[in-house]
Amino acid sequence: MSDTEKLVFMVLHGPDHPEHATIPFVMGCAALASDVQVVLGFQADGVELVRAGVVDSVHAAGFPPLAKLMGDFRELGGTMLVCGPCINSRGITAADLVDGAEVVAAGRFVAEITSATNSLVY
Amino acid sequence: MPATITPSELEAITAAKVVDARGSACPGPLLEAKKGIGSVSVGSVLEIWSSDPVTKSDIGAWSTKVGHEFLGVLGGEGYERVFVRRRK
Repeated sequence: MSDTEKLVFMVLHGPDHPEHATIPFVMGCAALASDVQVVLGFQADGVELVRAGVVDSVHAAGFPPLAKLMGDFRELGGTMLVCGPCINSRGITAADLVDGAEVVAAGRFVAEITSATNSLVY
Repeated sequence: MPATITPSELEAITAAKVVDARGSACPGPLLEAKKGIGSVSVGSVLEIWSSDPVTKSDIGAWSTKVGHEFLGVLGGEGYERVFVRRRK
């Protein structure tokens, strides 16, 4: 058991739901700034957020633009994991994704969640 | 998050660095504090300016979490001045 705390946020909403798409990044950045490891797991429509260029048009009221938050998240060392079957079914390839996004399958998500201090679903 | 020193004591502090996060929405001021605290020496004070009223509680909780000392808050004109002493 590691002493390092880790949070996993599962992101299930895409650009059509700006607030649901933005809040996991807000929480993730705050956790990273608090010396907590963070994994964002993108599944279902959430995978649209890591398609290059998509976040540029997402800005939930009351929050910074999602492109800014994604930049901060990466700069702070957060991990972004993307559901392989979810991108396949949407015609998205790994080459379409933003830098730093890693395509994974269910086993990796299970490993991340079971080793985390806590997990939340957005 | 209780302040550790009085407002008059806060007024007397000259911060080693001032971060202007006015106009920045959550989590912006917190991220600015994270960046700023690394640029002051241990024992020195970072001052964060924020127009977001939840920043003081956010920075207070963050300070406790990561091991710094939340000193308190002073009101400015349309913003607040939040003081944190670097402890590690």
